[in-house]
Amino acid sequence: MTALYILDAEEFGPIADVAATGPEVRERRVGHYRELSSDGSISIDRRATGVRHAVWYSAVAAIRDGQVVQYDKDALRVAPR
Amino acid sequence: MPERPHLVRGVDHAAFPTFDPAATVHFYRDVLGFPVAHAITAVGWGPAQHPDFVHFFFDIGGGDRIAFFYYFGTEPYRDDEVPRLLAEARHLAIHVDSVEVLDDYQRRLDGSPWPCEMRVPHETLESIYVHDPNGYLIELTCPTRMLGEADREDGELTVEALLEVAAAPDPSIAKLWSRKAELIARTAERLVEVTP
Repeated sequence: MTALYILDAEEFGPIADVAATGPEVRERRVGHYRELSSDGSISIDRRATGVRHAVWYSAVAAIRDGQVVQYDKDALRVAPR
Repeated sequence: MPERPHLVRGVDHAAFPTFDPAATVHFYRDVLGFPVAHAITAVGWGPAQHPDFVHFFFDIGGGDRIAFFYYFGTEPYRDDEVPRLLAEARHLAIHVDSVEVLDDYQRRLDGSPWPCEMRVPHETLESIYVHDPNGYLIELTCPTRMLGEADREDGELTVEALLEVAAAPDPSIAKLWSRKAELIARTAERLVEVTP
């Protein structure tokens, strides 16, 4: 299972919110983080988040059992490794 | 490890060499409005061949100062070999309390020969950037939120992961994210253990 950790801070909130709407994405809180996990890929559309670039490109706190296969101005996609 | 009380109280001054005192004074005192706070005029002492110099300070608020050395009889030197990425990693960020004050300083710069070059809303800061007449990158920044316990603990985990990843072959951000996930899990387990 792949898990993406996003710090539960207000600037990253919209990103975690969009990630959580993904199909088969589960969310729970782990420490100061929102853990978004899935048996498949986790995709986040940047435009849907409305965040600016500096926030977008610093949103990933950690990744368990996964790899970033896309991280650009359009989307962040984390796939199982 | 022995306890190490955290006793320091911020920046007293940050100092840089200048070969153009006129432009430096114009930029900091007249454009930005930072008052001259102090100046030391000294003949060379200590190391042999040390030039006579003036060490002058501008008040940057909060009891802090930015300072310059002007060395008499010293040829201007500028190291253009330093890659831009690394040269601009070295910068001084001066704090302001609000976006309105940041706007004010942006207007001061924009009315001068050193207009604001970039304005960036960061994660927890909003900043404007300009190179001073000496080529040093200066940032003025206001917090967009207070940092808290979560930021501190997250920072500690990032640094711990960085130390491990940077000590191993081929450090990468992917390895850092992976190691940090392990540290987050370990920390969370500890939290669960102590939570009644």
